[in-house]
Amino acid sequence: MDFSLSNEQRAWQMTARKFAEEEIRPISLARDAISDPRETFDWEIIKKGSKLGFRTMAVPKEWGGQGTDFVSQALVMAELAKADSAISKTFSQCWKWSHLIAASCTDEQKARFLKPFLEDDTFLLGKGISEPSAGSDNRLPPADDVKAGLKLKAERRGDEWILNGEKCFIANASVGKLFFIDARTNANVPVKDGTTMFLVPRDTPGFRIGKVFNKSGWRFYQNGEMIFEDARVPHANVVGEVNGAARKSGSRGGGDTTGGDLFGDLELAANALGVCDDACALALAHARSHNQGGQLLFEQQIIQLKLNRMHMLTEALRSLVMRVAWEHDHKLHTANPGLAMNFSTDVIQEVTELNMDVHGADGCTINPRVEKLVRDSIIWSHLAGDTVQRMKVARRLARSAA
Amino acid sequence: MYDLRLSAEQIEIRDTVRDFVAQEVKPAALDAQRLDACDRRLLAGVLDKASQLGLRTLALPEELGGADADTLTLCIVTEELAVGDVDVAAVLAETSGLAGVLFSRMTAEQRDRLLPQFVTDDRYHLARAVHEPEADTALGIHYHRPGAIEAGRKTTAARSGDGWIVNGVKRCVANAPIAKLFAVEADIEGHGPGTLLVPRDAPGLTVREHDTGLRWYHGACGEVTLDDCRVPADSLLRGPPTVANGRGSPQLQSLNLGIGRAAYEAALDYADLRVQGGRRIIEHQAIGTKLAEIAIKLEVARNAVWKAAFACDHPDGYADRSLADLPLQTVAEVFTAEAIFEAAKDAAECFGAMGVMRDMPLQKYVHDARICLHSGHGTGDAKLRIAEALAGYRRPAAPAIAAE
Repeated sequence: MDFSLSNEQRAWQMTARKFAEEEIRPISLARDAISDPRETFDWEIIKKGSKLGFRTMAVPKEWGGQGTDFVSQALVMAELAKADSAISKTFSQCWKWSHLIAASCTDEQKARFLKPFLEDDTFLLGKGISEPSAGSDNRLPPADDVKAGLKLKAERRGDEWILNGEKCFIANASVGKLFFIDARTNANVPVKDGTTMFLVPRDTPGFRIGKVFNKSGWRFYQNGEMIFEDARVPHANVVGEVNGAARKSGSRGGGDTTGGDLFGDLELAANALGVCDDACALALAHARSHNQGGQLLFEQQIIQLKLNRMHMLTEALRSLVMRVAWEHDHKLHTANPGLAMNFSTDVIQEVTELNMDVHGADGCTINPRVEKLVRDSIIWSHLAGDTVQRMKVARRLARSAA
Repeated sequence: MYDLRLSAEQIEIRDTVRDFVAQEVKPAALDAQRLDACDRRLLAGVLDKASQLGLRTLALPEELGGADADTLTLCIVTEELAVGDVDVAAVLAETSGLAGVLFSRMTAEQRDRLLPQFVTDDRYHLARAVHEPEADTALGIHYHRPGAIEAGRKTTAARSGDGWIVNGVKRCVANAPIAKLFAVEADIEGHGPGTLLVPRDAPGLTVREHDTGLRWYHGACGEVTLDDCRVPADSLLRGPPTVANGRGSPQLQSLNLGIGRAAYEAALDYADLRVQGGRRIIEHQAIGTKLAEIAIKLEVARNAVWKAAFACDHPDGYADRSLADLPLQTVAEVFTAEAIFEAAKDAAECFGAMGVMRDMPLQKYVHDARICLHSGHGTGDAKLRIAEALAGYRRPAAPAIAAE
């Protein structure tokens, strides 16, 4: 057992901490307060972070990236999220899919897509899975129902595939330059056997972005609709095999298990950790600087008990997050990332709510950040901690016990 | 005797309000533009119609133009209204609750002066100005010790000729931006603590609406400044200011219930329609048990709230030991706030990503439930109040008002 960080890991953490405190935190509340969801985004912070490597740090060194390990990635996500959860997620969303490129794309595809991604500070990545009537059905496909799940259709025509349909709730949709799109290439078999993954650049003819969703939290992080009307994608952009999307994204538990899905589990848990660190710091500072009846809030037992619980939960989450990151680096594939993700939902929601409790209604009025954190944390419900996400992990446990 | 049946009148008024909410309130309240917590203007048209239905004047005696509604009836109405729109419910809860208290304490002359206008003007709302900016009313550090929370009011009323000159600042005054009559608590020269009736147009009274950006309240809320505010001599209300003893009207707890019910009804409808995994999601155990838990919370919370309302209507129930010797309103407040917040979150989760979108109502219900959870000094403070009651601790009483 060794909990110490390497010099390189420590360096990433410190760079991220400095960037978060000096660049992200100062703009966090103002961005959150903008009411038009298309206007909350800020390219300047993306460019600055990109120059420090925060956009591309998951790309392997042999392809020109920083090739960081998962421990460094977890540390950076938490540090950035401590200043703004949504801005941290915008960066790490790129890592999620650069893991996928590294794990699943051919060398020809890597050359075609990784090179421009590395060179352009405004090149963001996304992936389209969810559709208006296919959310949980993609995460936990019913084995016997071929109609369930995503419906966006791709048909082969010569050297091209013609895509028709729509995606919704797609992260980075309105700002991304390249997307992985899951499409049905065989409608007569269940979604996991009839889906193909395509690389779809933003300027693909017939592909456009619809509405940008107006979320109550994570305001900076763009989330939109994608509309495909006879969109033409070259066959060379098929990722892996036709009808093989499930095997490549790791959702089946076989094939690639560190790209896409599994990184996503660690990602949400690490991001939650940063938010909890922020909430703990805010609560402790408030309790030690505000008076009630001539004494510091901190002097009250009920305040101390709340601070204790916030820190206890946060440190437990930290232990689990760092263990999962370490397990990823050691190619140990367990259900722990999923458990960490589920746990992070409970922790971030309780800790941010306790922070609000410590501040009281007056404190929340004085510091709007307290209210921002609870809004950001509600996003975890459906992304990381709903019943489907928990049952999915239980099934992973059952598979690994078999 | 133990009887949980509602009277025929209570059931009738509940059905009438439920129908009003379905026909008139929901269509206006669920407008996508209005679901963003930062931009929620009061539905003035709905408030007018509610007043025409008699919901503003419900608690007045029949001979004064009301329906002589008891606390339980007011609570039932508040819950139904809050299912439709929490802000409408909050405004009417304040006015209807205060109307019963204020007009019954007025002298015949005061009533003659104020009642006709109150009864006939659909936009005549009432407010109670109690809290002061610097006053530390949180129990917290004063738990089980006499302390600053008994300190006197800074707002004063001084005699001047045949009237009163009032000076002071009151904050977090519910209904302040729309009220036409304020019941202002002040230290009154020659009387001690008391309540003055101050009309909105009294010279020297100004209202500043609280920041609507964060929306840390329901309905309308503002700060009232009284700067050499002059009111006539017969503005003094009989009796001492009401003391919060945890046994008052649980109308705001009913409002909280209404928020939970709105979330529950939305989730139930959606679970009945939405198909995933080849079947309606209500047929999945995971969603079924979630909805059951929400229903349990609502039912148990309503029991607590209605019991507190009954206790408020029948204070003799404490004396004859039918009721537990507890601050039943505070008990209902804590349980309801915590249970409904969890219920609203669970209901939102049933909607997946739609549960967090600002043009959908679920995120609004979560926000509204959170306001109840943290308003005042939060449930931690309320639990300390209950604990003091359990220990039989009595706070030193404020000096009594001089008998008239």
